[in-house]
Amino acid sequence: MLVQATLVALAVFICVGGAELIGLSMLNRPIVIGPLVGLLLGDLHTGVLIGAALEAVFMGIVNIGGAQAAEPGIATAVGTAFAITVGGGSQVALTLAIPIGILGLQVKNLLYIFLVGFFAPVFDKLAVKGEERKIITLHFGLWAVNWFLYSLVAFFGILVGSDAVQALLNAIPHFILNGLTICGNLLLAVGMAMLLRLLWNNKIAVFFFLGFVVVAYLKLPLVALAALGIIVAIVIAYNDFEISQLAKAGVGENVQVTDSEEEDFFDE
Amino acid sequence: MSNLTKEIPKEERVLLRKIFWRSFTLYSSVSPAKQGGSGFCYSMMPFINKLYNNPEDKKEALSRHMSYFSATIPMSTFIMGLTASMEKENSMREDFDTTSINAVKSSLMGPLSGIGDSIFWGVIRVIAAGVAVSMGQSGNVLAPIIFLLLFNIPAVVIKYYGTFLGYSLGAKYIEKLYASGLINILTKAASIVGLIMVGGMTSQMVNFKTTVQFKMGGTSVLNLQNMLDQIFVGIIPLGLTLLCFYLMKNKKVSINILLIAIIILGILLSALGIA
Repeated sequence: MLVQATLVALAVFICVGGAELIGLSMLNRPIVIGPLVGLLLGDLHTGVLIGAALEAVFMGIVNIGGAQAAEPGIATAVGTAFAITVGGGSQVALTLAIPIGILGLQVKNLLYIFLVGFFAPVFDKLAVKGEERKIITLHFGLWAVNWFLYSLVAFFGILVGSDAVQALLNAIPHFILNGLTICGNLLLAVGMAMLLRLLWNNKIAVFFFLGFVVVAYLKLPLVALAALGIIVAIVIAYNDFEISQLAKAGVGENVQVTDSEEEDFFDE
Repeated sequence: MSNLTKEIPKEERVLLRKIFWRSFTLYSSVSPAKQGGSGFCYSMMPFINKLYNNPEDKKEALSRHMSYFSATIPMSTFIMGLTASMEKENSMREDFDTTSINAVKSSLMGPLSGIGDSIFWGVIRVIAAGVAVSMGQSGNVLAPIIFLLLFNIPAVVIKYYGTFLGYSLGAKYIEKLYASGLINILTKAASIVGLIMVGGMTSQMVNFKTTVQFKMGGTSVLNLQNMLDQIFVGIIPLGLTLLCFYLMKNKKVSINILLIAIIILGILLSALGIA
């Protein structure tokens, strides 16, 4: 079991961690990790079949940003491993996969909030000091530690079996799990606040509220909001441009104002 | 497309290619408050080092690109290329307003991700998975490879050319803008779009729902969330974001403390049964 557990943990590290390292390249999807685990455990055929079955189940689940469902990578890895060692095909794989996928997601959230999350200010400090080497080390170091710890879930999951995984999940008080989900949603407020600090200017701050209200009430998708924003910005920029042209013209001696309204304006 | 890359001097092409390679690691150390901030900074390093000889300028540029960044990876390099061209302008001009760099960044990441997410996650991934699943169900061992190729070839191609497109578009336009003195107007316009987008993202991504209900005789007489929604939809996320902003800007509260406070708040809210 120890060898198998190590191999499955390795597959999780390579696929789930690797997907984050090389650009969310879909290495962590069931259709990839299932066959890999099958290959490592010596039953590629079963791996492919289970990978395909679980991919069909998890196809709707993409964990980007705030992750909400079971993590498909670890779920597939452990599910496939059990299906190969214990037997029983994709039905067994799926029932075993779900609890470990949920546990995996919780661990992933924990690492996301507490491990990497706490280094966010460190990154800022290093940038201010211009410590490039350290930024690079931290950038990759966090990745390695994060996914090493994560793959331990698969390692112990295989060692102790699915019942124990379910029991462990039940043992964590619900309010902690729920609290972490709430945190994941609220922590983005800090990121938004940091962007605001970069963009805030009392004269145009009102547009922040415009964006908020439009999405909150009209449920506009961000693409539509961007289009709207660009239109508003163009109108304002055009106005500013005219004013700046007028200002320039006003400075010059030989001003030729063609519009009568503008003449009135200057007469005042 | 090849014309696009040829117009750029060779030395800069090499640097842009480095940005492209480094951008793969955008989300290596993804965290709630920064998302791909460190990855963006890492990607920009070769360019920053080339442009700024003065250590102070370099530090400023590094911290500029350490801020929150989140975009669909295949679309991210377009923004990096554009940012690189603005950094180049900044290094050559004394009067460059550096807030315009982050204004452009934050106004672009929302819409580009909106397009990118739906194309890559919504369409290409689903097509690739659909093809691969039907192959896998009949036991074809090539299924995972076909899946990865179907998804990653378009993603990487767009990512590669995006770097150069962003850079050459940016360089050309910024040159013109400076010559005509339009940059201030444009910075303001970009900041407006940026603020609107941040407002929209705050509404869409910062979420809070309370489950508090007051019951009388078994029927709910007051649903707090409904009440809050009647006052103003998203009043809590908006208030929290503004509070964080206020604390950071005016009270100089460190982001560390804010992060810890929010974690405690989240668990507390859950423990008290408020959310």
